[in-house]
Amino acid sequence: MSSIRSVLLIPLLALFAAGCSTSVAIDTTSIPQPITEKIPIVVAVRIPEDFENFVHEEKVLGREEWTIDLGRSNAALFTQLFTYLFDGLIVLSPDDNPADYTFDALIEPSIEGFEFSIPEQSQTDAFAVWIRYRLLIFDSVGNRFANWPVSAYGKSQKEGLGSSDSLQRAAVLAMRDAAALMVTQMERATGLSALADGPLEKSLIEDVEQQVADERGLTEEDSARAVALTGLGGFQNDSGT
Amino acid sequence: MIRVPERRGKSLLVGLATVMLSGCITARMEDNREAVTGIAEGESVVIMAKSYHVGNETEADYVSCVEKAMQSGSGGLRVMPSKQFVDSLFPWFEPRTVPSETKGLDKLMARPGVKERIRKHGVRYIVWLDGDTERVAGGGSLSCAAGPGGGGCFGFAWWQKDADYTASVWDLTEQESAGTVSADVSGTSYMPALVVPIPLIARTQAAACKGLANQLRSFITNEEPT
Repeated sequence: MSSIRSVLLIPLLALFAAGCSTSVAIDTTSIPQPITEKIPIVVAVRIPEDFENFVHEEKVLGREEWTIDLGRSNAALFTQLFTYLFDGLIVLSPDDNPADYTFDALIEPSIEGFEFSIPEQSQTDAFAVWIRYRLLIFDSVGNRFANWPVSAYGKSQKEGLGSSDSLQRAAVLAMRDAAALMVTQMERATGLSALADGPLEKSLIEDVEQQVADERGLTEEDSARAVALTGLGGFQNDSGT
Repeated sequence: MIRVPERRGKSLLVGLATVMLSGCITARMEDNREAVTGIAEGESVVIMAKSYHVGNETEADYVSCVEKAMQSGSGGLRVMPSKQFVDSLFPWFEPRTVPSETKGLDKLMARPGVKERIRKHGVRYIVWLDGDTERVAGGGSLSCAAGPGGGGCFGFAWWQKDADYTASVWDLTEQESAGTVSADVSGTSYMPALVVPIPLIARTQAAACKGLANQLRSFITNEEPT
């Protein structure tokens, strides 16, 4: 008798639990080829680990648990976008040593923030997604050249009974919004085509360092730690020198 | 006695039932012309929602409804799907980058490849839709109950929806605003229930879609509405 009870109870509990959580999986995002001219430099992009499997979990209004799985859509987005944006692109994994490759600039994108709102929160019929990326740009020998925060926004009206499609659409629109911003503003915001002429001059390095620290509100130590992976002032070669 | 053929009789019945089971709708369409319009053979129109970056909340299904209504029927216009248009001009018609006023058209058209791409598609007009459908009032009371012997509902409920949309027409050839067309539709739905609830639904958004599309078509072609 107790086994029958537990057989009935388990699906019921599972149903109850499922009712309090929503999972949204984002398919790999694709952007159209922009009708802009390419920036004439060769860029290496280091795709961080979380771009291959980004999952955001949040409890909304203290009740409903939301899980948004962006999968590898960020990795796909940045790879496709930079292919369209620059004359040449080298895709590096987190373990690759940039010193082994020849390029004009190295870009390290990261996700600084992911937020979303559902209609119950905004008192509208819309789902909204905000993504804040940060692009750290280095010259060919590892000097930090630019630090560009990219804030993107996507919004989609609620349609039908299910909410996952609308939230999915809002997330895809936010990623596309980021792509549009990077296509139109990359050169103006970072001036990275200057790196086609070679790495930064020493006098410029300190200015850029200070600017990065000011923008992020970091102390000198924090700032150095933040870029330790790349090794400001020179990439490490395989022997670690 | 008039004899109605069986098939026609069924159609009449369905039509009658539809009319009887509809709510009450009032609609007003207006246009404000700023320039002479007209569309040549081979030229097309793109229907798009205004950018959500400026707070617009036009529903995607309303945009596709207007798209379909504009191209249907004998006087239908050539409508290019907005997604195809936006994709082919990426990134200049994204919510973030698209000009919010015709003042920005000169700069947009001067960007490399934009004018050529638009000419290639034969797009003469862009129609920007702004507005939404909202539930503005409601009332009544309706309760349902079910027991071992059966169930049923009793009561009366009603609700009112307002659909306010404005379509701004941009002439890409002349690079100017051609004017605006607006639809203001109000619909009240009723649900009386005596054991079985009978929904008398006012299709407010659908009426706003059809009305606006008709008015837009005649605005662009410069002919009287059909």
